[in-house]
Parts: sequence; structure tokens; C-alpha cells
Amino acid sequence: MARSVETVSPSVIIAAVGLGLVVAVPFLFIVLQAIFPELGRGSLTAPFSAFAGALGDAKLIGMTGNTLLLGVLVVVLSALIAIPLAVARALFRVPGAIVWDVLFLIPFMIPPYIAVLGWIMTLQPRGYLEQLAGFNLTGFLFSVPGIVFIMTLNSFPVVYFAVSRTLETVGSRYADVARVFGASPMRAFWRVTLPLSTPGLAASLLLVFAMAIEEYGTPAALGSRAGFDVLVTAIDLRVSDWPIDLPGAAILSLVLVALSFGAFMLQRWVLSRRSYEATTGKPQGTAKRDLGPWKWPVLLTFGLVAFVATGLPLLAILAGALSRTISGGLVWSNLGPDNFAAILGDTTGALRALGTSLSLGVAAALVTGLLGALSAYAVVKSRARGRGVLDVLTILPNALPGIVVAVGLILAWNQPWLPVTPYNTALILLLAYCCILLPQPVRYATAAFHQIGDNLEAAARVFGASPLTAFRRILLPLIAPSLLAAMLLVFAVATRELVASVVVAPVGVSTISTYIWRQFEQGSVGLGMAMAFLTILITTALPLIVLSLMGRRGSLL
Amino acid sequence: MRGEWNSEQAISAQNLTLSYSGIQILRGIDVALPAGQTLALLGPSGCGKTTLLRLVAGLLAPTTGDISINGQMVAGPGVFVPPEKRQLGMVFQDYALWPHLTVAGNVAFPLEMAGIGRAEREARVTAALDRVGLGAMAARSPAALSGGQQQRVAIARAIVGEPRIVLFDEPLSNLDRELRETMVAELGALIRGLGLTAIYVTHDQSEALTLADQVAVMEAGQIAQLATPEHLVEQPASPKVAEFLRLGAILRLVRDAQGWSCAGRALGPLGGPEVALADVLVTPRALRVTEIGQAALTGEVLAAQFRDTGYTVTVRLDGAAEPGRAIRTVQISSDTRMRTGERIGLQILPERLRWFPARADVPM
Repeated sequence: MARSVETVSPSVIIAAVGLGLVVAVPFLFIVLQAIFPELGRGSLTAPFSAFAGALGDAKLIGMTGNTLLLGVLVVVLSALIAIPLAVARALFRVPGAIVWDVLFLIPFMIPPYIAVLGWIMTLQPRGYLEQLAGFNLTGFLFSVPGIVFIMTLNSFPVVYFAVSRTLETVGSRYADVARVFGASPMRAFWRVTLPLSTPGLAASLLLVFAMAIEEYGTPAALGSRAGFDVLVTAIDLRVSDWPIDLPGAAILSLVLVALSFGAFMLQRWVLSRRSYEATTGKPQGTAKRDLGPWKWPVLLTFGLVAFVATGLPLLAILAGALSRTISGGLVWSNLGPDNFAAILGDTTGALRALGTSLSLGVAAALVTGLLGALSAYAVVKSRARGRGVLDVLTILPNALPGIVVAVGLILAWNQPWLPVTPYNTALILLLAYCCILLPQPVRYATAAFHQIGDNLEAAARVFGASPLTAFRRILLPLIAPSLLAAMLLVFAVATRELVASVVVAPVGVSTISTYIWRQFEQGSVGLGMAMAFLTILITTALPLIVLSLMGRRGSLL
Repeated sequence: MRGEWNSEQAISAQNLTLSYSGIQILRGIDVALPAGQTLALLGPSGCGKTTLLRLVAGLLAPTTGDISINGQMVAGPGVFVPPEKRQLGMVFQDYALWPHLTVAGNVAFPLEMAGIGRAEREARVTAALDRVGLGAMAARSPAALSGGQQQRVAIARAIVGEPRIVLFDEPLSNLDRELRETMVAELGALIRGLGLTAIYVTHDQSEALTLADQVAVMEAGQIAQLATPEHLVEQPASPKVAEFLRLGAILRLVRDAQGWSCAGRALGPLGGPEVALADVLVTPRALRVTEIGQAALTGEVLAAQFRDTGYTVTVRLDGAAEPGRAIRTVQISSDTRMRTGERIGLQILPERLRWFPARADVPM
């Protein structure tokens, strides 16, 4: 062991404190609450007494089964839609390829709870579909297939981008070599390209699974009418409706974390075992083949998917936002900018909500950017003792669904013995967003630090820079482009985050998402739609513009 | 400045060890380097030479032992001076130029850290870049330079702060051979011209022998021999050192009543120590080509490489192969070209052999 005369770098200490506050505290309190049901009264009596009741509950098994079923169905449907598109995109010359990429990125950027509102407007009785075509699909919408369908539209881009990128890289690098050594195009695909692409495909499917079991908006909006309860909605019910059942919520949260953690670890294992996509630079488009007679059927498929996933919900939301009254229907006389005027006039608190969310988004981006950079530094570059613990704390949020973070924050900061607490202030929302979104900056900064040779920092130290000066002058500027991209993503997602906002937002504080959600519950659908449209503009356009300026379109997946 | 520091050791290390997760990387290192001298750390990769350099730089802390720079202890029991307080210059194997700064920005960094004002900084950066012949490149990005130019920038950065001690970590190993030979000469002139004390890590014995006043040959975390270049070549301390310096072939000889023999072929009385078993270093200068009929050693020409001074000929010796050694070959120099596969005889010049008594327990 090296003698511990080297002092621990201040950046490592800041990272440790920040990770403890943002990640460890909420998670710890969920575990404590699950074990000690009387924790809320400051008592540690009757440990484990709530487990038997909760875990033996037939409803819990049913909800866990529903959660798994939902995850698996979304994965299967996403794969069915995305893989053929990705193969066509990667191996053949599809006209307008870049345009299709952008169109498929948009549904990933639209939060599913907003898309689902557009779908309700379209498919419900007397909805847009009925007004235009004379029939409605309400039965389909408020059913398990409907939930799966709408969630798939949000998550298939993950598979599409992962698979098409891997196939492109593998196809141009390794399949060409197989061709040189005598394989026909088909044989090269089956023997080389496909096996090499499997890890990328498996990892993206696991990510879709994790997204699906954490999703709140879609099951909450559609599932209750279908009698379809999943873990997320059940946890929400236990913390927000009488009778409040905190031990039950904590135990359900642990079950959900276990599922999510399993999916995440499996994904990491798949990628660490065999991953070939990161090894090369730019994929070469020159080796692609012509579609021939398949050109028009393929284009039609791309167009159909893009319209259903992107065009239709956006049009429905825009139509709702521009309708003076929803009952007035799709006629010219009913259209007008009244809802946008109401929002900009702030008669309904919309501007306050917008301001709250935008400032929280900026704050979350700054905090997670700084904390993510320092944590990644501590894990990748420092030799500080205990960095294994920091590594675990940076990975843990990947397996913490938003609802679980919210429950953990309530449990931690609503303890009666606390002298000061961020609970019931907007600060609790900031803590929630930071915990949920920390994995993004950590991932980007970790990748960037791995690219930086150790000697760049060593050289700065030898030439007279203290640890903090070396971090600020050398390391931070070098990771800045990656970190900036991650912070933009944090901003975009935090400004529209739904589930934690619904659960922990203090009385009188509304965010963009709680505003939209409440307008819909109160029947002011038009206002909600107008707000949703503005949100999509802000949170989709901004990151897209900046990322395309930086030339890394699609790489945020 | 050189005379001022000659009286004491610029760098010294006593009983230095470093272990990492239970693995001993350095064991019992003792080094003392007078001011104004150059010490080369020479050894194969993984021998611990770069680790030793990083200990001196303060990028690692030793497990036991202590290091002093100019008489002040910088690492030892309860003492650790961080790298930024040791006032060293350093040149890295991968250059370690900061890609987000210009050439001038890289070179100015040490001065900036020392709090030197802008005007003086600019003058000294220009002077340092001129010294390495890159004055015109100041505004460029390091990425736009060739490998050799990048290393010159790294050298300018190492000397701009006028440190008394500069550490070189395999500075030329990423360059091609021709450039390496030019740069060795330039570096030697620079080190002498500035009166620097230098530690120079390399795996290339010709670099070490050219540049250094003292060479430490390292092997498995220890210093196998610390000596001047002349002493090292004349009197290598062990067969391993001789082999690493590529001084010649090591042959194992057995003594009986008639004298020495090698792999069953009698070589006659060659002198040598009074032991039953010995390793002997056979340099090209210790062999002479003779008639095949009367030669003690015979062999077959494996390869002949032309150099401007003649041919370097590799010969495979006849005789039973020794266990553990694939082929026994020796090298000789020759003025005439020899064909591959030609059989020749070799005569040993006993006075040019160097003997290493082998331990008796080692089987042949």
C-alpha cells in the first residue's frame, strides 16, 4: 500500500459529499423505511414487520407481473418496429436518411405523458379520428395493447439508433473484410455483421425495458381505466392518497429498484463483455447498397412510422392547443390562438410554472454537470481510497426510477426531528431532478475522462499546478464539449419531468408538467395542450440545435 | 550555477520501495546523483524505471524509504511534497501536450503557475521555442505538429521555467530511428549547455550510453548495476546486464581436465575462473574467422547485415542445443560478404572474454 501522505484531492471530497446528499440519502431512507415501519415516528421498533404483509400480498405479485409484462411487450414491439428500419437505414441507401433520423429522434424527446394526451384527443369518443373518419378506437387506447403501443412509440428510437449505428460501423469495417476473404453479401451479414451487432441490440432492448417499467404518465393516464396497475402507479397511490402507506411504498420501491437494477446490470454486462461499436470512428456511407425495387415500400414504411410516432401526436396536440373549445371540434371557426394568449397572459399561473421549470432545469443542469464531472474524475482518474463506493453511488441512480427517488426524498426530508429541511420548498424538486438525471453527465464525463491520457494532468502538476488548478485549467476544458451536451440533455428532461414533480412538488409550486397534468384533470384540455406544445418546442428544439451544431446528432442515446 | 551545486547531491534516494496491492514494484533502490550529471535508467518494459521517475516527480508516493532533492527531503516518513512544489521540468513519453492550448500556451503554463508577469512570460516562451527551433509555431495547435515537433514543444515546456532538474520519461521512444538519433545529439547539447541535472528513462541502450554520466540498469524492480557507460561496457556485472546491453552472446562453458568445452566441443584452456561451470560473454571482438578444419567452434551463417563499417554476421553454432535456450548464436563482424548457409570456423580470443562464474546448482 502506498503511504497515505498524499492528501485527498478537494474534488474527490466535493464529489463524495454531493453524491451522499443527492443519491445516498434518499436511497438509504427507502431501505430504512422498508425495514422499520415506524421510522416516520422516529422509532426503530418492529423491524421487518411490514415485509410479510407486503410481499405476501397477492396484489403485489399481480402488479409486479403487470410491470414485467409491460416491459417485455414494449421491448418486443420496439424490436419489431426498429430492427427492420435500422437494418434498412444502415445497410442500404435510404433516400432522406438524415431527415428520418431527426424525425425518429423527436418522439424520443417528447415525454410520453404529453404524447399520450395527444393520443387521447385523437382516439377518444368524438375525438379527431372520429371527426375525420367516423369511428373511434377508445377500446384499444384504454387497454394493455394501447399502453404498450404508445410507450413503444416513445422508446423504439433507442433501438433504432443503437442498431443502425452498430450495423453501420460493423458493416463497413468487418463485413468488408469478410467480403475480401470470399463471403457473399448475405453470408457476410449472417456470419459477421449480425453476430457483432448483437451486444448493441441487446443493450438497447434492456434500456427500453428499464424505461418501460419506470414509466408513470402512460400507465397513470390509461391504465386506471383499464384496471391495469403497475408498481409505479401503486407506489404513487400509497404516497399520495389516503390512507398513506409509507412502509408499503418503500417495499414496492425496493421491488421496482431490484427489477430496474437487474436490467441495468445485465445491460452493463452485455456491453462490457462484447462491444465493438465504440472502437472505430466515422461509419462510411459509401459501401451501402441500392434498395432497388424495395425503394418505395421501404420509404412508405419509414413515412408511416414517422407519421404515427411524430406527426400524429404533434398535430393532435397542436389542434387541441388551437381549439377555442374542445367540444367545438375541428372546424375553422373554432380555431384561434386563445389558449396561447391565456398562457402568455399568465391568467392561469402558466408563466410562473414555465419560469419555475426553466430555472429548475438550469439549476439541475449546473449541479449535475459539476457533480457529474467531479464524480467521474474521482472514479476514473483519482487513486483516492473509497472510490469504489463513489463508483457505486454514480451507478445507483441508473436503477432508481423517478417515483422511487421521490418517495426516498419524502422519507428522508419529512422526518419530524429535522431542524431545517428542503421539504415543501422548490429545493426538493431540484434534489429530485439531480438524482434522477445525474447518470447523464456522469456517463458523458466518464467517457471523456477515459479519452484523456493520465499524463496531461501529471504534466500540469509537475509544472506547478495544484490539484484544483489542474482540474480547472486542464481537465475541465478538455471534457467541456461532452459535459455541455449532457447538461443540455439534463435541462431538457428536467424542465418537463413528471413523476417526481407530481409527488414532491410543494403546495402552491407548479412546474410545466404538473400544470399540464392538472389542466387535463380539470378539463382545461386546450390550455394543457398549448403548454405541452410550448414545452415540446423548448425541450426538443434546443438540444437538437446545439447537438447538431456540435455534430453529434443521435449520439445522446 | 553548475559549480554552486556540485558539492552536494542534486537527487538522492535511500532504500526506496513501492508496493501496490501487495505486489512489489520497486525494491531497495539507492541512487545518488550529483548536480549537473545525467543519470539514465535503463531496462526492459516493466522493470520499474518509469515508476522510479514518477516517485522522484511526486506523481507517486513511496511505500518506504526517502527521496531528497537538493538536500531537502521531498518524500519520506510523514513527509510528502506534492509535484507542483518540487520545481522540476519533465518530458513525457506521450508528450502530454494539452490539446486545448496553443504551442505558446503549453510552454507558458509553467511560468503562469509560477506567477510570472505577461511581458516576461512572452519573452521567455519565445526564447524557449527558439532554442528548440519552433519559434514560428507558437500560435499553432499542438495537434497540427509532427511527432518530433511535438516533442520539441514538450522539451521547451520542460526548460522554460529554468528548473535545475529535468526528468525525461522515454522522450524519444515514439519517434522513428533517424529522428531519434538527431534528437539524442540535440538533447545532449541542451542538457550540457544549460548545466541541467537530468534523469533519463529509456529502454534503448545506445541512448543511455550516449547521454548519461551514470547508467542504472534496472531489472525486476531493482538496480542490477549502476556505473559509468565505459565501466558498464567493459565490466558488466551479470550475464543479464551484458545481454540487455547487447554486448554479445552469453555461452555456458564446462571445465574438465583438458580445459573448457561448450556443448561437448573442446575449446582448450581459455583461462577463466577456477570453477566447474561458467557463463562467458563473447563479444564480436572476441571471435575471429578461421579455417573450418582447425577451428574449435564451427557454425552456419544465418544472416548477414550490411553496415557502413562492414558486415554483421549472425552464426549458429554447431553442437547439441541446450535445454531452455532455442538456438545458440554469436555475432561477428566481417569485411567480406558471407552467404547464408555457408559453414565457417571461429577462433576464440581468450583475452577478450568476460567471465561470470555460474552457480554450481544450476543444471546445464
